[in-house]
Amino acid sequence: MAGRTISDKVIDAHSADDDGTAAYRLVRVDAVLGHDATTALLIDDFERRGLTIWDRDRVLLTNDHFSPPSTIEYADISNKFLRFARDNQVTNLMLDRGICHQLLVEHRLCQPGGLVVGADSHTVMGGGIGTCATGMGATDILFTLVTGTTWLRRPETIAVRFHGELPPTSSGRDIVLELLRLLGESGAQYRCLEFHDESRPKLSQDDRFAVANMAVELGAKFGVFVPDEVTADYCVRRDGELLATPVLPDADAVYERVLDIDLSALDARIARPYSPGNVVPVSEVESVSISTAFLGSCSSGRLEDIRDAAEEVAGRAVHPAVRFIVIPASVEVFKQALRAGYVETLTDAGATFNHSSCGACGGIDKGVLGADDVCVSTSNRNFRGRMGHWDSRTYLASARTVARAALLGRIGPDLYRNEGAR
Amino acid sequence: MNEISGRIWLFGDDVNTDVIHPPAFYSLDPDKVRRGLFHGYDPKIQQEIRPGDVLVAGRNFGCGSSRETSVRAIKLNHVGAVLAVDFARIFFRNATNNGLPCLTFTRQEDLLSLRQGQHVTVNLEDATLVTEDGVRIPLDQPGAFVRRIWAAGGLLSLLPNGSDAAR
Ligand code: SF4
Repeated sequence: MAGRTISDKVIDAHSADDDGTAAYRLVRVDAVLGHDATTALLIDDFERRGLTIWDRDRVLLTNDHFSPPSTIEYADISNKFLRFARDNQVTNLMLDRGICHQLLVEHRLCQPGGLVVGADSHTVMGGGIGTCATGMGATDILFTLVTGTTWLRRPETIAVRFHGELPPTSSGRDIVLELLRLLGESGAQYRCLEFHDESRPKLSQDDRFAVANMAVELGAKFGVFVPDEVTADYCVRRDGELLATPVLPDADAVYERVLDIDLSALDARIARPYSPGNVVPVSEVESVSISTAFLGSCSSGRLEDIRDAAEEVAGRAVHPAVRFIVIPASVEVFKQALRAGYVETLTDAGATFNHSSCGACGGIDKGVLGADDVCVSTSNRNFRGRMGHWDSRTYLASARTVARAALLGRIGPDLYRNEGAR
Repeated sequence: MNEISGRIWLFGDDVNTDVIHPPAFYSLDPDKVRRGLFHGYDPKIQQEIRPGDVLVAGRNFGCGSSRETSVRAIKLNHVGAVLAVDFARIFFRNATNNGLPCLTFTRQEDLLSLRQGQHVTVNLEDATLVTEDGVRIPLDQPGAFVRRIWAAGGLLSLLPNGSDAAR
C-alpha cells in the first residue's frame, strides 16, 4: 500500500463506511464548532424538523461576531443563538470569551490527529496542532450536529517544508503571506497543506496557528502541521497530559507536490488590496498614509502578536492620524497580555483595546471602515468591502508591521530599513 | 428543475463571498439578504436579475467565507445555476446542499465564447449549456453524490428522519 499523508490517515481512522475507494467518504467527527452568525442560520430548520444534537459534549459554541451585540438586530440573533445552545444543553457554550477558532485550540476537544468541522471557514486553524479541521456552511453543520458525521472527499496533499531560521522581525504571518504570493488564492484548492517544520529554532505555536489559519485563503481543506515537540508542549500545558497519539505521515507518503521554503531569507510581507494573494515584500510596497491599524482576528491577536506590537511601540506614540485597535483573540490571551504588561504598554502608546471578538474583521462590529479609510490589518482577508465601505482599502501584514505603520502613520518600503539602528 | 433558462451574468476569477454578499447585509431577514446580492460590486445587478438567470465565472468562484447567506442571496433572487471554471470548496458544498446547481466547464476555453446578457439554456440531465445561437457547450457531470443531493432537494432531506434517509 502506498504511504499515507496525515489527512489520509485521519480520514481513514474516522471513516464510517467501508468503501475506502469511494470519491466521498462518510466520516465521524470528533467535534463541531459554531458561532452566533452562522449557527443562527440553521436554528429554524433544526427546530422545525424537531432534531436533537448527537453529542452535546462534543459541540463548542460561542458568540464572537456579536460580542456583545451592537445593534438590536444582532442582539436578537445573538439571543436566538444563545437560547438554542441552552435549550440543547450544549456543554461548551462560551459567552463572550473570544473568537471561536482561538477557543477551539484552547479546548481539549481539539487534538492532534482529530477530525473537527466548524461553521466557519477558518476552522482550519486547528491544523496548527495537527488536527484535520475544516470549515463548512450552516446546512452541512446542521447535518453533522444531528448525525455526528459528514461527507468528505479525500484531498490530495501538498507538503510544505520550512527550513532555515526565521528572521527575528518576521513571523508566521509573513510565512503564510509568502505562501500566498507563491501559490495564489486557489493554489491549494481542495488540497490538504501538510506543514513540515524543519526550521531551527522551530516555529512557535502562535506562528503555526497564523499559518494554519490562512490555509483557507489558499483554498485548502486542511492546513495541518506535522505534530512534534512544540505540539506536545502545547497540549501538555493545555490539558495537563498528552491525551492523543499524534498522527504522523508515512515516510513514503504520496504528495501531489513538495514545496521547500527557506525561512532565513524571509523578510516582512504585505498583501495589497483587494486580495490576500496580492503579496509583495514590505520593502517594495508603495508609501501610503493609513487611518486605521488593526491587530486582531483569529488570524493573529495571540500573545506573541501582542508582544511584538508592544515591543515596537514601547515608549513611543501612535501617529495622531491613526486609530490603532487591538483585539486579543480570546479573554485568555487578554489576561496573559495584561499580566505581561503589554496592554499597558500599548495603551500608553495610544492603542485602543476592544473586547475579544471578531470586531471589524468581518465588517460587522466596532471599528468598521468608512469610504476614505486605509487600514493595515493582521486579519486574513482584504476583500473589497469586507471590513466596511466598498471604497475602503485594507493591507494585510504581521503584528509588527501593523505596529510600525501605526507609529509612522503610513506603510512604505522603509518600514524595516535601518534595522540595526533601532 | 432539469432545464434552466435565462440570461448570463458574467464574472471573472476569484469572486469572493464578500463580493457576492457584503457582510452588511448579513441577516436572518430574507428580504435584507436578497437585496444584498452583489451590492458593493454593482447594486444594479440585484434589481435586474430575473428568475432562471445564470451566473458564469472563471476560477475559484465563491472563495472566502462559509456564511451561507451568500448562497441564500443567490437563491432568493431565483438564479437558476452557477457555471464556473471551478468553485471554492465551501461555496460548492453550501450551494449543493441547498439545491443550487454548480457546474464546471469541461473545456475552460468555452468560457471565452460566452457574452454578458446572452440567453442560454442549461440542461442538468446531460450537463450541457446551449446558447441562443444554438452552440452546445459541455459541462462536467456532477457525479452521483451531488445528483443524489439535488434529487432529494438538498442535504437536509438526507437526514435520518428526512424524506430520503441516508442509511
Ligand atoms: S476574526 Fe474574522 S476571520 Fe476570524 S472568525 Fe471572526 S470574522 Fe472570521
